[in-house]
Amino acid sequence: MKLTRRALTSLAAASAFARPALADGWAAIEAEAKGQTVYFNAWAGADTINAYIAWAGEQLKARHGITLEHVKITDAAEVVRRVRDEVKAGKAQGSVDLVWINGENFHAMKEDNLLFGPFAADLPNFALVDIEGKPTTRIDFAEATEGLESPWGMAQLTFFGDGAKIGTPPAAMMELLDFAKNAPGRVTYPAPPDFHGTTFLKQVLVETIADRALLPMSIDAETFKKASEPLFEFLDQLHPSLWREGKQFPPSQAQVKQMLADGELLMALTFNPNEPANLVASGELAPSTIAWQHSGGTIGNTHFVAIPVNASAKAAAQVTANFLLSPEAQARKADLKVWGDPTVLDLMKLSSADAALFTGRTAPGAVAVPAPTIPEPHGSWVPLIEAAWLERYGS
Amino acid sequence: MRQLAGAALMLLLWALPVLAALAMLLPGAIDGEAWAALLQHPQLWPALALSLFTGSVSALLALLCTLIIAAGFYRSRYWAMLQQVAAAGLALPHLAFAIGFGFLIMPSGLMARILVGGEQPPQWVTTQDPLGLSLVAALVLKEVPFLFAMAWSVLSKGDAAGHLLGQSRAAASLGHGRGSIWLRIVQPQLLKRMAWPLVIVFIYGASAVDMALVIGPTQPPTLAVVVWQDLNDADLAHNARGVAGAMFLTIMLAAVLLLSFSFIALSKRARARFRSAGPSRLGLPKRLAFSLAAMIIAVTLGVTLLLVLMSSAPRWPWPVLLPPNHSLAAWETFHHASAPLWASLGLSLATSLTALALTVAWFETRPPQHDRWLLGLALAALALPQILIVAGQYRLFLLAGLSGTWAGLFLAHLTPVVAYVAIVLAGPYRAFDIRFAKVAQSLKAGPFRMWRLVKAPLLKGPLVMAAAVGFGVSMVQYVPAQMIAAGRIQTLPVEAVTLASGGNRALTAVYALMLALPPLIAFSLAALAGRPRWR
Repeated sequence: MKLTRRALTSLAAASAFARPALADGWAAIEAEAKGQTVYFNAWAGADTINAYIAWAGEQLKARHGITLEHVKITDAAEVVRRVRDEVKAGKAQGSVDLVWINGENFHAMKEDNLLFGPFAADLPNFALVDIEGKPTTRIDFAEATEGLESPWGMAQLTFFGDGAKIGTPPAAMMELLDFAKNAPGRVTYPAPPDFHGTTFLKQVLVETIADRALLPMSIDAETFKKASEPLFEFLDQLHPSLWREGKQFPPSQAQVKQMLADGELLMALTFNPNEPANLVASGELAPSTIAWQHSGGTIGNTHFVAIPVNASAKAAAQVTANFLLSPEAQARKADLKVWGDPTVLDLMKLSSADAALFTGRTAPGAVAVPAPTIPEPHGSWVPLIEAAWLERYGS
Repeated sequence: MRQLAGAALMLLLWALPVLAALAMLLPGAIDGEAWAALLQHPQLWPALALSLFTGSVSALLALLCTLIIAAGFYRSRYWAMLQQVAAAGLALPHLAFAIGFGFLIMPSGLMARILVGGEQPPQWVTTQDPLGLSLVAALVLKEVPFLFAMAWSVLSKGDAAGHLLGQSRAAASLGHGRGSIWLRIVQPQLLKRMAWPLVIVFIYGASAVDMALVIGPTQPPTLAVVVWQDLNDADLAHNARGVAGAMFLTIMLAAVLLLSFSFIALSKRARARFRSAGPSRLGLPKRLAFSLAAMIIAVTLGVTLLLVLMSSAPRWPWPVLLPPNHSLAAWETFHHASAPLWASLGLSLATSLTALALTVAWFETRPPQHDRWLLGLALAALALPQILIVAGQYRLFLLAGLSGTWAGLFLAHLTPVVAYVAIVLAGPYRAFDIRFAKVAQSLKAGPFRMWRLVKAPLLKGPLVMAAAVGFGVSMVQYVPAQMIAAGRIQTLPVEAVTLASGGNRALTAVYALMLALPPLIAFSLAALAGRPRWR
């Protein structure tokens, strides 16, 4: 129980005046959580992630008497639909207790009042989150989380390829254009609405737009048309040098990654900066793999866990969310050999013993020089970008 | 009374959940805004053209290959063996086949490594070609075993096969060559009973999402993929457009089928003239049949072998012909998850046997002219995107308190299983000579006794094959397991598809092989049981 006590002391120091009753409230939640089962709906496309969730389950069982069931899904939109249907049917004891979520799925659930809370700020470990340094822990795709989801990990657009084949990687979109022209047919990106594809387009947008001040704002079709002109000018230049001359695009990031591993492409992209290192460790990519980000920064965001409004085990779901924020769980998650998902915590807020858990080891395939994170543009940009892309390049 | 009971169970357990699910979707189907959005979708028409093209061309080519192979091998000494081979080919799931076949033909794939080699892979336009030809090829290769198994059970089992034999002998004595006998006597009767299986193949080819995502065209993709993307979106407006798109695709498929059937009806007289033409010494396309069969078997075996190699190869980079290093990590991951395997096995056994019982009860108690309702609904259940039907069922089961239960999961799996079993069984079952029953009746045998002692033994082949098809269909159901089980019960396809979404090819191959194994056993048993006794 060392973990909880330490968390409670740090919390007490942080907000002793604001919330005197919180510690008692939390103890009550922990007591209620004992014996409950949490159905955690989480994307299960990677062995490493599934193994990490299984580990978290063992810890929760031993420390809090909570059973964690990993409900394996391919897309959080499935869960949004399921909860929406359940709530519409008046099912109070829902099938989802905790869901791994962010972006438009979160917006959809928030808008339709499908989320329990606010609860995130009341989690004892939330005091350790780096809310200043990582503003996306409270702003999800330009939308305030309002405590309806608890941050879990960080993501940032990252490129990777075989260092033995590519020499100096492109550090900006303009350099990527030259890179593609020099190696025609060896670069591509997944077709939107695959979110990696959409993120690539956002990155081009950010690097080409004349007025960046527009990005965090809600945008209308007229303004978009003008503001996105450089984006599509760039794509018009880039596409002829892409795989299949930019007339066909792979449907998913998984396929782009596989084509890189097979040798058909020279580079791929990911949203987890540590995925390349992870793939080297599992033998899926060559040991000479390198990963990089554009020097001016790349699009980044935070992924969260949220509790549906009709969850059956809300107390245990909160205890789980809190455990996932603990330095121990965050450090293990950040370990390149386990999962390699960057932490949401501020290491300066941790005790020196806890901070030491984050060893910062490097490994083949890790990003050599991390670049700053650029926040996601406002959510209203996404449908406009996707529709315009489809109109131009869809057929 | 007996009549009522036979139909009532089918209605309650199968038709009701399907119809109610469809009714739940009705408001979405008449949403004017969604239809307007659909008609403005820039990919709509080219995507529709691709869907119809891949569906019809693959179905016709698969039929043509099947007929050539059947003609070449009919009553030859390899005839019984081919059935076993086809059964084995049936077991490999479509998605697994697409992954293996894709690795065979893609620019960095095995073929290019053997034929071209060099520093970098060639820039072939094989997988994801804009016309969907690689998708067509994969569909043909995958569907020929299915159509052949259907043709085989018509030609070899039951009293219909005996009639064909007698008629063939009569034609031979009139001076017809073997090719002429095939074209004029055997094939027309065969085709009549293969209509429904052929319709399934067409519908599958035109609406498949999993295969199309792996090797199908992308800009535009097939309409099924466009619809699937919309239905998966978190945005409600896109969902609505997806529902309209699904309805639109279904209507278009129905229109194509209607046109084809009326064309066939119109050409009736021409075909009759051809059949009654004088004797010809036409031979059989033996050599062509042999090469076709050999090619399909070789590709299927090659694909299976590739999957085995991939399952233990974390990496297989250009240009090496064999994976550089081996790892059993993927197999170990599978080993940790045996509960989903048992869940899937139990569920598939239960659904396939129930489906068989329901279908037989229907055929025994309803007159043949009622079949069109059963088969029509079955086709609708298969033609509409599963995600739609299951979404409707999920809402229904929520109200009934069945979501997250075994009962709900069972009913949801029953939807496609009964559809397949009914379509597969309809031809051979209705071809059963009613005179056998009359004889039995005149000998004072009760209906159950008659069925058990006369009909079941004569129809054993098609019955067992239908059960095996049902089992195979149930084993690979992802969507119902994902939605209806609501995470309370894990099945093998859920594990497989969620892992495949991450793109780990070794793991995908392991699960593909494990998904293929139980149906392989089922089909082999079916093929063994279906073997003619007099040989």
